[in-house]
Amino acid sequence: MRVTMTDKILYFIMVPMVYLAFAWFLVGSVVTISGVLKAPKLPNTLRIFPETKVRSPRLAAVVDALTLPTVRIHKPLLWFFLIVFHLGVGALLLAHLDLIPQIRVTSADSPHMIGYGAVGVVLTISVLYLLFRRFKTPVREFSVPSDYLLLFLLFCVFLTGDVISWGNSWSPDGFVITKQDLGLYLSSLVQFTFEDPRTVLSGSHYPLVALHVLLANLFLMVLPFSKIMHSFFAIPLATLRRV
Amino acid sequence: MDDNEKKKLLDLFASKLTRAAKMYLENCTRCGVCVEACHVYASSKETRYTAVGRAQNIRRLYEKYFKSSGKVAAWLNEAVELDDEWMEKIYETAYTCTGCRRCMTFCPFGIDTQLIQSIAKLMLIGADMEPKVLSMLADVSITKGQNIEATKETFAEAVRRLEAEVVEKWRGEAGGDAIPLDVQDADVLYVALAGKHSIIPAAAIMNAAGERWSLSYFEAVNFGAFVGHPQKTKEIAQRIISEAERLRAKEVVICECGTAYRVMKHMTGEHPFKVITFVELIARYLREGRIQLDKSKTKGRITYHDPCQIARNGGIYEEPRYILRLLTDDFVDMVPNRQANWCCGGGGGLVVIGEKDFRMKSAKVKAQQVQATHANILCTACENCHSQLTDLNEHYGLGVNVQFLSNLVAEALVQEEAAKPAEEPIPLRTSVNW
Repeated sequence: MRVTMTDKILYFIMVPMVYLAFAWFLVGSVVTISGVLKAPKLPNTLRIFPETKVRSPRLAAVVDALTLPTVRIHKPLLWFFLIVFHLGVGALLLAHLDLIPQIRVTSADSPHMIGYGAVGVVLTISVLYLLFRRFKTPVREFSVPSDYLLLFLLFCVFLTGDVISWGNSWSPDGFVITKQDLGLYLSSLVQFTFEDPRTVLSGSHYPLVALHVLLANLFLMVLPFSKIMHSFFAIPLATLRRV
Repeated sequence: MDDNEKKKLLDLFASKLTRAAKMYLENCTRCGVCVEACHVYASSKETRYTAVGRAQNIRRLYEKYFKSSGKVAAWLNEAVELDDEWMEKIYETAYTCTGCRRCMTFCPFGIDTQLIQSIAKLMLIGADMEPKVLSMLADVSITKGQNIEATKETFAEAVRRLEAEVVEKWRGEAGGDAIPLDVQDADVLYVALAGKHSIIPAAAIMNAAGERWSLSYFEAVNFGAFVGHPQKTKEIAQRIISEAERLRAKEVVICECGTAYRVMKHMTGEHPFKVITFVELIARYLREGRIQLDKSKTKGRITYHDPCQIARNGGIYEEPRYILRLLTDDFVDMVPNRQANWCCGGGGGLVVIGEKDFRMKSAKVKAQQVQATHANILCTACENCHSQLTDLNEHYGLGVNVQFLSNLVAEALVQEEAAKPAEEPIPLRTSVNW
């Protein structure tokens, strides 16, 4: 079979770039986190004294970081979408891990991802809300281009994921790319076989999967240098306020 | 701005990049939850007067000079060059914010705008753009500390002239000093402000409680903190720390001055003595039955303004309310109150600088909050707040009587000996115990 340039590009996206993106993400995260940790510690406390029902300040900080009580009080609608978004991201990670045969938690022959595709849709709607509110005053006035671009990139990742998850069942013969097929692809990545994913991901939807993987790769590469690093710093930050 | 000047300012910026500062600068998602926290925004609806709006002025410089993304793609996070024009923004960042930290109770991450503001203040000092009155007052405090021996006698004489007024409020035991100085092993070293209003009521209350106390030679206020000069802040606080250590005082009690309390309590490390506010001391006396208050002395409805540095940033919420319930049957809390209370608009050195027009416009929301209580007396426990609230009262015609909490307490002290007048007049201090 003749290997075209498109095949080569798709292979690069689906295999080597995934490794590069993960490596970039890991190194970038270590660099960013160590850059913060290497900075001198402030000798005095920065705490404020919010009234709280949780007695331990450290536990209260964890509760703050995970449940965003200040947003719930002051911006309930934003809080709803933020909580849905963050829970959705957790569910999405779980759903992707569940694709890998070695760590699958759902039934091996189930054709559906965890959430039956609903997780992706919920995330897509949430990220659209987060994106659109940036176009409104006053948030618009202090948003910077990276705020929009990051959310747009996430939107594209989620949307392509949705299409793969929902759209691949549009064939009259059922699933074009099954959960098991994706599992084989991820399994080959985990095992570093460097196999061409096309052998397991047959069908015309392959370029769409590659697009999804490309966007996810880009997101991983951007993450360590973006404000999304708050996922690592949210608890330490909340601790500064409480302790 | 030449390269040397720019380098000097960026070095000052870098000197403030602690772990906390870096986390604050790198993790803001610009979600905008903090927007409505700021009293200046609430009063003006201008987004430059928001926590995120001010912090972006610093964050965009950080992006340019301390982040690789700012060098590769400055447009991504709107990184900016440091120049004279941008220094005007830095001034706005520093001196349109009172450092009340109300925004910390809104921000999902708890980003401390005051810490970011401190970068701005230090850069302004480096550029010789800080309000000179603050630097001058900080220097005066430091000079006083360096020359305390030369000024002690003058201070003692001034204090002696106040003692009669203390005695008017509370007739103490015969032979006692109405305002003791240099008391070794004092239980309380009381640190007042440079004004009799912060000495006389406090002295009367402590004398009524039979406290073994000593008045500090130094004023509590820390202009180094207002101007944002770390070394000066430390030197000014150190004068009091050294005095407390020399006298082996068990507690350092800070007068009604929010910033002084926060600096001494939370920003100067561990000490062999405890640091409390005068409000806490009054509450303790009342709880222990060491003083009693006569409710009939306080006429009209009272409301209380929680000073940001004592309440939200110091955790002193219930003590003033406990005192007020013993002072009056007509106490009404402002809404919102405690951690959510609106800043008076005078902190961060703004009252000292002047800036009256800005202070009045930016604190409209505070005036409305006071008005809604329909109180006759507006009391507080901070000098800055008192000055600002007095100005607001006049500017907005609030028709309230602005009072220090300590003064209300001193006026309502129950004179147990009232029925039996003192047989001998109380002698005034005649010497300084050194």
